[in-house]
Amino acid sequence: MDYVLKLLPHMLEGWKTTLSLFFLTLILCLPLGTIMGIARISKFKPLQWFMEFYVWIFRGTPLLLQLLFVYFGLMTVGIRLERFTAALLAFVLNYAAYLAEIIRSGIQSIDRGQYEAADVLGLTRFQTMTNIILPQVFKRVVPPIGNEVINLVKDSALIYVLAISELLRVAKTAVMRDETFVPFIMAAVFYLFMTAVVQQFFKWVEHKFDYYR
Amino acid sequence: MYMLRALDIYKSFDHLKVLKGVSLTVQRGEVIAIIGPSGSGKSTFLRCLNRLETIDRGTIEIEGEIMVQNGPDGRAVYSGEKEIALIRRKMGMVFQNFNLFPHKSVLENLILAPVIVNRVPREEAEKTALELLRKVGLENKARNYPFELSGGQQQRVAIARALAMNPDIMCFDEPTSALDPELTGEVLKVMQDLAAEHMTMIIVTHEIGFAREVADKVIFMDEGIIVEQGKAKEVIDNPKHERTREFLSKVLRV
Repeated sequence: MDYVLKLLPHMLEGWKTTLSLFFLTLILCLPLGTIMGIARISKFKPLQWFMEFYVWIFRGTPLLLQLLFVYFGLMTVGIRLERFTAALLAFVLNYAAYLAEIIRSGIQSIDRGQYEAADVLGLTRFQTMTNIILPQVFKRVVPPIGNEVINLVKDSALIYVLAISELLRVAKTAVMRDETFVPFIMAAVFYLFMTAVVQQFFKWVEHKFDYYR
Repeated sequence: MYMLRALDIYKSFDHLKVLKGVSLTVQRGEVIAIIGPSGSGKSTFLRCLNRLETIDRGTIEIEGEIMVQNGPDGRAVYSGEKEIALIRRKMGMVFQNFNLFPHKSVLENLILAPVIVNRVPREEAEKTALELLRKVGLENKARNYPFELSGGQQQRVAIARALAMNPDIMCFDEPTSALDPELTGEVLKVMQDLAAEHMTMIIVTHEIGFAREVADKVIFMDEGIIVEQGKAKEVIDNPKHERTREFLSKVLRV
């Protein structure tokens, strides 16, 4: 128990890094992913193709590799990012790609009749999107986005490759140094706590949308 | 003065010719019922009138303003987006599947377009909306959401929503076809009330009895053309064409 208390401040320090990555990624990739999702079905073909290519790249390669690419790859061409900034950039680009796919399929699942009703009432395409389509899309994408956010909690551990002291890396260092398994258990508790909070939050959001079907 | 004039409309989907030269003139206050077998092109024709579908050839004029006419090469050329938007604002549309906005309450469904398209102040829009809901017998449902209503109630809301934009012409695309038989009456009643107020209406329907009673003119379409048209009672009671007779005998045989 003493050991746990002694280690806790270090773990909390690592947790802070994990949380900043988590929240910053979320805040940035939600709007970005939504815009990309809309761009993905744009009438402007080159944009559509570009988005398709983008999604293919970021879903088609490991996030771990993307992290290395953004940090070390950019370094070889003379762009030197802070390690955390590089990690954040890779995460935002990666998660935006997944979100874009979720938003795209959400938009395409909305009945054509909704567009037609808005159209005959004189709404512009933009008004239709913002007032009619997207609000309904958000309700439908809550469960898949919940999945992604839980993944994000766990994926945050990957930034250890850039030698950033997030939760898992702190735990691993302690395990090696103190020859005890306890830090890993502590890390597991932290992750389970975070995913539980995310899960409850999304349950609550889903419930919020229950007022219509 | 005619309200709407469609001249020689042609429309194909890929290689399927859906409309092969359909013309229609609608006078102010006239109620037109378009009947015919499924696949006859009647819904497509109605959807062309307010540009839910674009036509290949022909002219459509609404209250003297040209929405589309043939260019020099004989293909349809539409007017500018702005003019079309103004012309379309004169037309209300009611769909077979209601197409209410599920995430908006009944009241919000009614005020949405007046507020954001016509920039009517919210309070005024709500007042009008409540009057319209009273008219369709649903003022106590203003705060409900569409899923809480029966099909018949939803369709009455959809009619009120179209009326909220204060249209000159109301188009109905099989408004009762998605309803349980016992719910069609309440919707037809609302439409009958509208007709009694001399609303100009174009109704695509399978309700032959309703067409006979309420419409001034009945149009029978088959295979992309108007086969027969005339006074509602004459066409339905004494059809002149074999195809009309055949169709009517099929629908009316119970």
